[in-house]
Amino acid sequence: MYGTLALSHRALDDLADAAGRSTIDELRALARPIEGLRVLNLSVSAFGTGTAELLNSAVPLLTDLGLDCHWQVVRGSEDALQVNRAMYQALGGVAVSWTHEMSETWQRYAAMNAELLTEQFDVIVVHDPQPAAIHSYLAEGSAAKWVFHSHLDLSTAQDDVWMLLRSHIEQYDAAIFDAARFTREDLPLPTFIIPPAIDPNSPRNMPLPDEVVRTVMERYGLDPQRPVLCQICPCDAASRMGDAIDVWEMVRARHPELQMLIVLMTEPADPIGRGCYEDVARRANETDGLVLVSMGNELGNVELNVFQRVADVVLQRGLRKGFGLWISDALWKERACVVAPDGGLTEQVVDGETGIVARGNDEFAAAIARLLEDRELARRYGRAGRARVAERFLITRYLRDCLAVLGELHRGR
Amino acid sequence: MLGSVPTTPKSLEDYRPVIGDERVDEIRALAQRLRGARVLNVNATAFGGGVAEILGTLIPLMNDAGLAADWQVIRGADEFFSVTKAMHNSLQGMYYDWTPEMREIWLSYNRLNADLFDEDWDFVVIHDPQPAAVPTYLRERTGGRAGKWVWRCHIDLTDAQVQVWDFLRPHVAQYDAAIFTLPDYVKEDLEGPAIYCVPPAIDPLSPKNVDLPHETVAGILRRYGVDPERPMVTQISRFDPWKDPLGVIDVYRNLKAEFPALQLVMIASMASDDPEGWDWYERTVRRAGEDWDIHILSNLNGVGNIEVNAFQRAARVVIQKSTREGFGLVVSEALWKGRPVVAGNVGGIPLQIVNGKTGFLVNSADECVEKVGALLRDPGEADRMGAHGVEFVRDNFLTTRYLRDYLNIFCQLSGAAEPVSSRLPTQRASR
Repeated sequence: MYGTLALSHRALDDLADAAGRSTIDELRALARPIEGLRVLNLSVSAFGTGTAELLNSAVPLLTDLGLDCHWQVVRGSEDALQVNRAMYQALGGVAVSWTHEMSETWQRYAAMNAELLTEQFDVIVVHDPQPAAIHSYLAEGSAAKWVFHSHLDLSTAQDDVWMLLRSHIEQYDAAIFDAARFTREDLPLPTFIIPPAIDPNSPRNMPLPDEVVRTVMERYGLDPQRPVLCQICPCDAASRMGDAIDVWEMVRARHPELQMLIVLMTEPADPIGRGCYEDVARRANETDGLVLVSMGNELGNVELNVFQRVADVVLQRGLRKGFGLWISDALWKERACVVAPDGGLTEQVVDGETGIVARGNDEFAAAIARLLEDRELARRYGRAGRARVAERFLITRYLRDCLAVLGELHRGR
Repeated sequence: MLGSVPTTPKSLEDYRPVIGDERVDEIRALAQRLRGARVLNVNATAFGGGVAEILGTLIPLMNDAGLAADWQVIRGADEFFSVTKAMHNSLQGMYYDWTPEMREIWLSYNRLNADLFDEDWDFVVIHDPQPAAVPTYLRERTGGRAGKWVWRCHIDLTDAQVQVWDFLRPHVAQYDAAIFTLPDYVKEDLEGPAIYCVPPAIDPLSPKNVDLPHETVAGILRRYGVDPERPMVTQISRFDPWKDPLGVIDVYRNLKAEFPALQLVMIASMASDDPEGWDWYERTVRRAGEDWDIHILSNLNGVGNIEVNAFQRAARVVIQKSTREGFGLVVSEALWKGRPVVAGNVGGIPLQIVNGKTGFLVNSADECVEKVGALLRDPGEADRMGAHGVEFVRDNFLTTRYLRDYLNIFCQLSGAAEPVSSRLPTQRASR
């Protein structure tokens, strides 16, 4: 077996306030026919990724629902890590020069990990492309149903890397994607769509005492007396952080007290990311009222929670791809959001209902100014945003979708 | 025995064109008196750090000069190295709770390493505190010990935590000699060993310091977007408060009005597990803003020894605006490239800069601006100072001088104007 993650116990009932009693009852009814089902989730990392966030909540809750649910992290080392990073980028549509050696390294680690898979499960859900080839190297085959749960948008994946991955997942029993447009037509598997979701009780979303909020603001140099505009984003040119600063400066002409908070969620691990980080730090300069927070500043989920709570307006000037789920975190906190029509942002922010969808710096600046000036409108969007998240993007909905897929796989055996 | 570290052979003769006949011959004469002497250097790590770097040059040169030198590293597990790290930091002035468990771990690993010690040497040089108690246990085991024992301390003990130094001192007191980097670092209450001071040195033939063709230098500058035709100043050091990176940018800004073509190159070595380093990197970049004549580079951009070498050579003036410093050997590296250095008047820097002759020692930002400005205004004077700097380093801060100092100490310890040891390396000294 791999490194098993010891997760703290979670009670589904604790979500009754957020999701409603009837939702909890519905989940229990759905889980009953598959009670005791042995489910293994496989991923590459235990923290720091959206997938890890999700599993951290979902696995203990599925356990509470009576499933025998586990989460294990596959083994690797520095060279495996580098190859995995390149594969992740290539599958996400960033051009990568993929070599024969990289294929070999990737498969070698899969073969090594295959030897470690010694326990019996009914269903094995592979959450990252990295452990996907383990299935091909099992000496005795596997009695389990195998599911590939892609959290990536594979629609623009680099051909050679996709072909390699596909050759290993073709034999699976099912595939799950975050959104219909992330899927591949050339993957002939039963395919399910399960959008990601947020956990209202996680450190990123739970209510926080004022004192914690104050301490965090102080530590990062935010003035609690002045309004805050906040963008949380990956360190990536498509996040348009320079434009975000331009937008802030445009708004600041009318609202000189407005502070800007830019939070970089990913560690700049490659030259492109580091170049992007240097660009935004230089653009930020030592401008008063502009707070830049990066992974180097010991950033954690509680900090992200605080940053969203204290924001008067949450901004997403751009998004390369994927879902941008942290916008749902913000909507859950009833924040007024202004977002670009990129990736999954418009599924969360419906223009004129749960926030504003803007294009170009002028539109962004006008929208932000409007929300700062019309507080009633901002509150209305915030409330509607929370309602939309409650309906579509809560962990309870995610659990329901998972139970449905697991139930179908169980019946099909 | 302990693990022996392989080194690449080096020839003293290769240094003859650099340091001249007289110095090479002086070293040969000293080495003649120590011919065949068996010398063991012991430290904690084979890789990384200034000590490993200097041993990598010193050991092969001793062998080339006719001694039988070896370099071995002690053994230890994580628990030992976390204790020695605490010990190291507390001896440099940080506060640690020095518990009985920590003492016990340190002592037991020293005993273990003493038990692995199964050869006799004419000279044993123990580097830094990690293995300092080995001779204590060796004496316990054998009732005596062969050869002369030298403790080589590379760290600044000025503000050492008293409790830790008092614990270490009785072990150090048993040595025949102790070598410190600077007279200021010597502990007054250390009685027993003969005290010597040997400052660190640079290897003129290493990639960091070797001469580079003009085109190579210009090519490296262009690759990083620096214009070789325009004046440039540089500081090479970590981004941390004691190196004052923000102050360096201010100095550049002050001069930019008078020298609009001026460029600044700041180079640091970054580690991904060093949050403070990232924090200061970010502050430095934000201070630089969108002035793209300020280049902020690091190992993460692929800047290695050769690149640093090139940037030092291409600089009109090298700055080292430290407000606190160990020895600051980077100053000698820059002087060796023929460039004048303007540097903070702290730590080992005043030993390396002859004020007004090879550069300037400064005590304030204003003074730094004034001196760098003066050198930019008068390139002829900057070149003359640089030339003096080369000679000063040649006389004082090259590895060959370091080798000579060690040989001198060995000669003195063996009390001999005569050859102290005519034994062949294969012969054992008697117990």
